[in-house]
Amino acid sequence: MTLKYAYHSAIAGIGATPFTKDSGRTPMDQAVEACLAACEDAGLPPEKVNGMVTYSAEQNPEIEVARNLGVDELTHFSMVHHGGGAACGVIAVACQAVYSGAADYVLCYRAFNERSWHRFGAGVQDRPAGAEATEVSFSWSSPFGLVTPASWVAMFATRYMHEFGATTEDFGRVSVVDRAFAATNPYAHFFQRPITLEDHQNSRWIVEPLRLLDCCQETDGAQALLVTTAERAKDLKQKPAVIASAAQGAAEDQHMMRSYYRDSITGIPEMGLCAHQLYQSSGLSADDIQTAIIYDHFTPLVLPQLEEFGFCQRGEAKDFIRDGHLERAGRLPINTNGGQLGEAYIHGLNGIAEGVRQIRGTSVNQIGNVENVLATAGTAVPTSALILSQPN
Amino acid sequence: MSDEMTDAQKEAFAAKLRREVGNTGTPTTARDPVNQPMIRHWCDAMEDANPLYTDPDAAKRGPHQEITAPPAMLNAWTMIGLVPRVSDPEDPASGVYAMLDEAGYVGVVATNSEHVYHRYLKLGDHLTGVVKLVDVSDEKQTALGIGHFVTTETEYHDQHGNHVGSMFFRILKFRPGTGRTAGAIDGDSTTERPPRPRPSRNQNTDFFWQGSRGGELRIQQCLDCQRLQHPPGTRCPGCGATNMGHTVACGKGALYSYVVAHHPRVPSFDYPLSIGLVELEEGVRLVSNITDCGPDQLKVGMPLEAWHMQTHEDVSLPVFRPARLPRNLTTLAFDDVNVGDELPLCPIPLTPTLIVSTAIASRDYQDVHHDRDMATKKGSEDIFMNILTSSGLSARYVGDWAGSDAVFKNLKIRLGAPNYPDDCMTMSGSVTAKREADGEAIAEISFQGRNSRGPHVTGTVDVALPRA
Repeated sequence: MTLKYAYHSAIAGIGATPFTKDSGRTPMDQAVEACLAACEDAGLPPEKVNGMVTYSAEQNPEIEVARNLGVDELTHFSMVHHGGGAACGVIAVACQAVYSGAADYVLCYRAFNERSWHRFGAGVQDRPAGAEATEVSFSWSSPFGLVTPASWVAMFATRYMHEFGATTEDFGRVSVVDRAFAATNPYAHFFQRPITLEDHQNSRWIVEPLRLLDCCQETDGAQALLVTTAERAKDLKQKPAVIASAAQGAAEDQHMMRSYYRDSITGIPEMGLCAHQLYQSSGLSADDIQTAIIYDHFTPLVLPQLEEFGFCQRGEAKDFIRDGHLERAGRLPINTNGGQLGEAYIHGLNGIAEGVRQIRGTSVNQIGNVENVLATAGTAVPTSALILSQPN
Repeated sequence: MSDEMTDAQKEAFAAKLRREVGNTGTPTTARDPVNQPMIRHWCDAMEDANPLYTDPDAAKRGPHQEITAPPAMLNAWTMIGLVPRVSDPEDPASGVYAMLDEAGYVGVVATNSEHVYHRYLKLGDHLTGVVKLVDVSDEKQTALGIGHFVTTETEYHDQHGNHVGSMFFRILKFRPGTGRTAGAIDGDSTTERPPRPRPSRNQNTDFFWQGSRGGELRIQQCLDCQRLQHPPGTRCPGCGATNMGHTVACGKGALYSYVVAHHPRVPSFDYPLSIGLVELEEGVRLVSNITDCGPDQLKVGMPLEAWHMQTHEDVSLPVFRPARLPRNLTTLAFDDVNVGDELPLCPIPLTPTLIVSTAIASRDYQDVHHDRDMATKKGSEDIFMNILTSSGLSARYVGDWAGSDAVFKNLKIRLGAPNYPDDCMTMSGSVTAKREADGEAIAEISFQGRNSRGPHVTGTVDVALPRA
């Protein structure tokens, strides 16, 4: 199996609202603003859009966004499952749509008031009991108080620390990197507010071994990306960020955030599945990647992602990080927008937009000689990833 | 009573209580010599399986060459027993207790017990104890109530007049209903807590919840290839069969991973909340709570055992506590023990049977240890464990770790939160010093037993260990 749409499509436009803690606006307002901004960035009249892809937990139906955008006809629309795990999945599906001819211009978007309305970090504590499979799956964790995303991830983190000797300081170093990039990104919530490892170690426990500064923000805001074929993208306003490949993955005995029953729980096999597909279909390898957006809802799962993509050996991400390789001058600067800890938590889409800027050469934290950028999506859930490349 | 007393009256009352301080009472000779039935009764109640106390053959091979009494029984032998319940009016300590009773300080709890053992007691030893009144405190406000601490020292001699041991002992006599936390110990936080999230269930998973309601930990099993699966599915991932049944897990497992939740707080739970991923001996894992130990006591790999916590009228959850490890059959050598070594955690479920049987086995017939109505009348929430049992269980804990040939030189404990029924006390401890004295190699163990309210017993013990 190989992905036939490798190098076929491109991200031609990016658009976002300001990222805030209390937008004072509806998510629909923000979805429409971000989509219009992405079209304007690309120089495409919105009425040309005929495909829309979003992902679960999205509360703004594509038909309503389309109505507000003035889009008359949609020939492709889909909802990709598993929340942040689908951040690159929406791009993969958009690629499939434009590769197959189902649509010409596809908007992918995420919009919410995740801080001022329903707080995402509160988890599933209010879910009533029921008999359906999703509800039943929570019966194996919620009655014991394991109800928040932080707690679900913390279970993996403790085991990872036990097996590989990683420490909470290693998690903290990821946070320090994110905040250092955020500090020089005026668009980031934590602009001009870097942290030290000591700040991290002094921050309060959320769910041990996770501290406050291991957890991403909750954000009000929206991000949209416009996908079309690389050919069509050439005729638009911006340099295309060619999608070398984009893939989804769910692996053996996969559960939503709680795949605790596998022989080993220190790797992320679904991310390994994405890595395999990306590298195989694009012909690229870890050596070809200059910078990456590594999904950072919680810092501990950044480590096994680095391992799954082959930037270091299994269990050695802590050493890779201690050696400074994620920093500005390191081997693989990550999350140059500040990541979801530093910039905003738009379920990964804002990170992909940063990947596009790195290809264009317009990031506020531009890395030199960027040829290929890796972006990953939410971990512990079925996930996805993509590689953006320079147009040839 | 004393709240109506002026300061001057209080001082006068305290002076009266202290009149006999420094004086000793009439010697009390034990009703029976050290004997096997009482020892056996004690060992059964305390679940102390050290064979040196009950098995003549094992005892012959041990450090004392014959049956000895558990050293923590020291003050059990001279306990007054159920009848006759008369107290010697000349006895200074009894006199103070009587004065306090009369003044309304009818509540009683022991707070400190410090044994020193000069030698282990053998069958036929006949003890005499002499009690000296050492101190009566000023009136104090305590968590239990307003009262006075009374301190005594007892010297024990055998029938030949040889000094075999001594005990420093302190009790609190208090006025019921005057506690700082009167009525609030078990208060609002627990009673008004909403129930935990109800487990969602359907035809595929009912077997699990039916099992846990009945105290069984059931794991789905393929009836064709016997493979186990958790969480349950509709089909066997091994052979594809749809013929699914279940097995009953033995309830033993080990902690595979864990988290300690602090924020956000869901009102149904106590925080910090320990949640573990438990790997059962049968090989499958499940998420559960780790109860009866502190978050700082959690360690990947620690042995666990299941129990069932009722959370709704029709729901019980399988949860886990540290497992009680088997008794160490090879006595630790002094040179193999290091300062900082930790003793394994040991849970002691506090059943009413344990509290009553151990009180009786230690010949402590105080009604507060077996009669709930009397206990509440005297200011307790329920019957509670007596201090001899706290000593006995502490000794069992250290002895089970050190091995049967370890010789106790002393046992010092201080009590805090009472051990009420239907709780669990978990023992923990570590080696805090090593020294050689009088030709003996001594390890000092510091230990603590915590229940859901906090530390019940905190103490130290010196044990003499064999050389390698």
